[in-house]
Amino acid sequence: MTAVWRTARAAVRRRKVQTVVIFLVVLMCTTTVVVSIALLDAASAPFERAFAQQRGAHTIAAYDPAKVTDAQLTAAHDGVAEAAGPFRQVVLEPEGPPKPGVSGPMTVVGRDGPGGAVDQLHLWRGRWPSADGEIVLNETPQSDAFDLSIIDETRSVTAGGRTFTVVGWAHSVSGSADAWVTPEQMAALQPTGTQMLYRFSGDVSSRAAVDHRVAEVTTGLPGGALIAAQPYFVIKERAAAQPGTYLPFLGTFGVLGLLVAVIIVGNVVSGAVISGFRHIGVLKSIGFTPRQVVAVYLTMVSVPAVLAAVLGTVLGTLAAEPMLADTFRGLGFGDVGVSAWVQIVTPLGVLGLVLAAALVPARRARKLSAAEAISAGSAPRRGRGLRVQQKLSGTRLPRAVSLGLGLPFARPGRTALTMASLLLGVITVTFAAGLSDSIIRVTEVGERSGRDVGVRAERPDFAPPSQRSDTEVEQLLRGIPGAARVAVAVNREVTLLGDNEPILINFSRAQVAEMGYEEQLLEGRWMAAADEVVAPSQLLNERGLKVGDRLTVEIGGARSTYTIVGETVRGFPGPEGLFAPWRAFDDAEPFDFFYQVQLTEGTDPEAYVAAIRAADPGLLAWNNTGANEFAVVVTSFSTVLAVLLATVAALGVLNTVALNVQERRRDLGMLKSIGMTPRQVVTMTVTSMAALGVVGGLVGVPLGMAAHRWVVPLAAEASKIRLPDYVLQVWDPATLALTAISGVLIAVAGSLLPARRAARLTIARVLHNE
Amino acid sequence: MTGGAPLRSVPPMTTDSRVVRLDGVRKEYGDTVALDGVSLEIHAGEAVAVMGPSGCGKSTLLNMIAGLDRPTAGEITVHGQRLDTMKEKGLALFRRHHLGMIFQFFNLLDDLPALDNVALAAQLTGTSAGVARKRALELLGELGIADRRNVYPAALSGGERQRVAVARALMNRPALLLADEPTGALDSKAGEQVMDLLLDLNQIGQTLLIVTHDERLAHRCASRLIELADGRIARESALDRVS
Repeated sequence: MTAVWRTARAAVRRRKVQTVVIFLVVLMCTTTVVVSIALLDAASAPFERAFAQQRGAHTIAAYDPAKVTDAQLTAAHDGVAEAAGPFRQVVLEPEGPPKPGVSGPMTVVGRDGPGGAVDQLHLWRGRWPSADGEIVLNETPQSDAFDLSIIDETRSVTAGGRTFTVVGWAHSVSGSADAWVTPEQMAALQPTGTQMLYRFSGDVSSRAAVDHRVAEVTTGLPGGALIAAQPYFVIKERAAAQPGTYLPFLGTFGVLGLLVAVIIVGNVVSGAVISGFRHIGVLKSIGFTPRQVVAVYLTMVSVPAVLAAVLGTVLGTLAAEPMLADTFRGLGFGDVGVSAWVQIVTPLGVLGLVLAAALVPARRARKLSAAEAISAGSAPRRGRGLRVQQKLSGTRLPRAVSLGLGLPFARPGRTALTMASLLLGVITVTFAAGLSDSIIRVTEVGERSGRDVGVRAERPDFAPPSQRSDTEVEQLLRGIPGAARVAVAVNREVTLLGDNEPILINFSRAQVAEMGYEEQLLEGRWMAAADEVVAPSQLLNERGLKVGDRLTVEIGGARSTYTIVGETVRGFPGPEGLFAPWRAFDDAEPFDFFYQVQLTEGTDPEAYVAAIRAADPGLLAWNNTGANEFAVVVTSFSTVLAVLLATVAALGVLNTVALNVQERRRDLGMLKSIGMTPRQVVTMTVTSMAALGVVGGLVGVPLGMAAHRWVVPLAAEASKIRLPDYVLQVWDPATLALTAISGVLIAVAGSLLPARRAARLTIARVLHNE
Repeated sequence: MTGGAPLRSVPPMTTDSRVVRLDGVRKEYGDTVALDGVSLEIHAGEAVAVMGPSGCGKSTLLNMIAGLDRPTAGEITVHGQRLDTMKEKGLALFRRHHLGMIFQFFNLLDDLPALDNVALAAQLTGTSAGVARKRALELLGELGIADRRNVYPAALSGGERQRVAVARALMNRPALLLADEPTGALDSKAGEQVMDLLLDLNQIGQTLLIVTHDERLAHRCASRLIELADGRIARESALDRVS
């Protein structure tokens, strides 16, 4: 065993507190960094990742089978890296009312399985069709929190005059079809097109480049063979909006986590080496070479750091995996986990940081002579914060407090690093508190209007529908005890002139405005005339509309013009649609009517739902209250990360106090010898950090508020929603006071343990060991 | 006197003239016995020197009397109060009001100038900064270093530092002044000055207990010598002070 290893091992054993602190700090920092980088990594390019994993198609091409043969399509492969197809396809019009997973014209493709070289489908529920009459629908996979019984309502689909049994649910990141059947079944459906899925080998970074690749591959095919080609950018742009909502939150926490980790590790490790200067001097005096001294210190900090980095990576992975999986699976990007590179680079990076932080002071000590090193560890310091101490000693504050307030000035560098970590801790707590509050307010906006119970008549293909008219159903709902307000709507997807995409209109009556929709108007007013509509902001943003615009729509072959007179935060539960005044439809079926019931305070929604079912089994009722998935995900993320970062900041404080106590043990002994009580020692020591906590609170709260003010609108913009001002105005005096004292709480939590240790110092040993 | 105005006399103590009474005090550190059944008394106005080879238990004895450490067995009574049964806070308050200590390495706070180092002892008792500083300045004046009141310890000479330490020890008018190798870190001239100071203090009634290796200090300042060996009192003798 070498002298270096023996000495380093002895130092690790002797400095148990320091070793434990380094271990804990590196552990927490590695955990935080793994979570932070994993979040940043997952959120930075989720579409690209899923697209690569599922071998997404750069282009989905539809050919006319009357003009081009399968052999010609297979032979055309200029610039093609991989291709899938030819698959037969047909567009079918679904019959009956909309169902989960079924809306509008459906592109149905015949494929013999979900795999293949291109567009590998994620079959996340059920199985692939194996017989005629079976179909798989395209839908994004649902998170664990999602109630799968909703999609299980869609047991069959009637389209093109045939009824298909839904045997599974799959997701195509390329968006290559709305449903899939067996190739044999497809032949019977009289396909109108042939689908080819291409991955190109050349440049596909722009639409023009993809168009060029398509031109290459279709060169030589009969003219007019290509009916349509959809580049992957269409899907990518649509997909970008969803993780875009999360990106600002995750990015902010990720950056905060990285900063805290770097500062704390730097502070702890460099402090450990600086506090060992006297020891370094002794080593030199007994013959250790400068290189050996550096080696001893690097080994000493590396032992706990390596163990902590490995364990931290495991813990970080365990913490990040469920969060990522739940978030991104729900967005349709597959099971996103912690990348291998994160698991390798993070511990190596943290260890690199540890070694760098140790190397700087160790190299400084290396250059000192033995005598200088020894005196650097114990000699009186000159000129540091002396004037401050002198001023403080003249104040009316209790002496233990004034002495504590002066301590941070004795080590300005260490104080600055501790202050920085406290500041980041306060920023994180403030940001997380504001974020949670905003999310709760956003959720409340939706819940206030969208709760409590939704009702429709049963669909005839599931159960006998209610025989009551819509007016009778409304009366029934009002008559059941607990109903406070009832609204009735009939929705229609209508053609909007000048736009090739239809628009949903909820023709509504009764207490719609009173349910909270009018209260949440962002702009304009509630509709007052038959030709006025009110639109949710998401719909306006997606369609490029604004209050005051006039819309001409075709309803039942007749044109009607509406003026948008107001903008609301949310619409009825479900896909966003316009609110329009009630209009009777002769062809309306019982299940076309949607009823929303708001209950009186204290009424159990489940009991109300049960009462409806008991009163009329032909009515389908469901409870619309419950946790909002987005709110749960964001508040969970922010809480976990805020607690993690605050703990790391507290550990940084603990380390600083432990080092201060170690360095000032002679002063502490003297103070105790002249009558300072243990409580006064604790007061002095805790005050030294609490003062930093106060400053951290005063500076960190405005910065956290600024981050909140900047990030929440970014997320709203990504979601194409507009937030009412009060969603951002979450800062009441009580919240501000709580966040402001978070700095003090972190400081006190971190300093209490070493302060108590300082209070228990054995004076005799300290004073006589000089 | 070593300079400055004469030091005022120390306040009256308890009616019992014994300031310190040790009865069968034993102190063990693991298997090592530092003190082995030490009994002694120190009366008001006495100046007692404790001497002996390294490891004989001198510092342990001082720590016991100062309430800095607790005996394994035996009774310690200082200024009429049993220290061996006192809790930590009680010991701190006792030290604050009844004991003054000076150390070989001065143990001054580097961050405070001389005046505030001295005032600190009174401020801990709740005395206002103004009153504490006034008394500290008086003491520094009496010790002849008032002009150095705003100087930080690092810029003071060894003798000056020890005088500041003495001033701090006297700040709360202690019943007993404990000195642990007070001249051990000083050159001969500074050592002489500190010896004179201790002698002056004793002559105006300050009870002194000095732990030292320095025979000259013992013979110059003490009226009684206690010699320790292997944790026991090997010999006690009266001294004729040598000027």
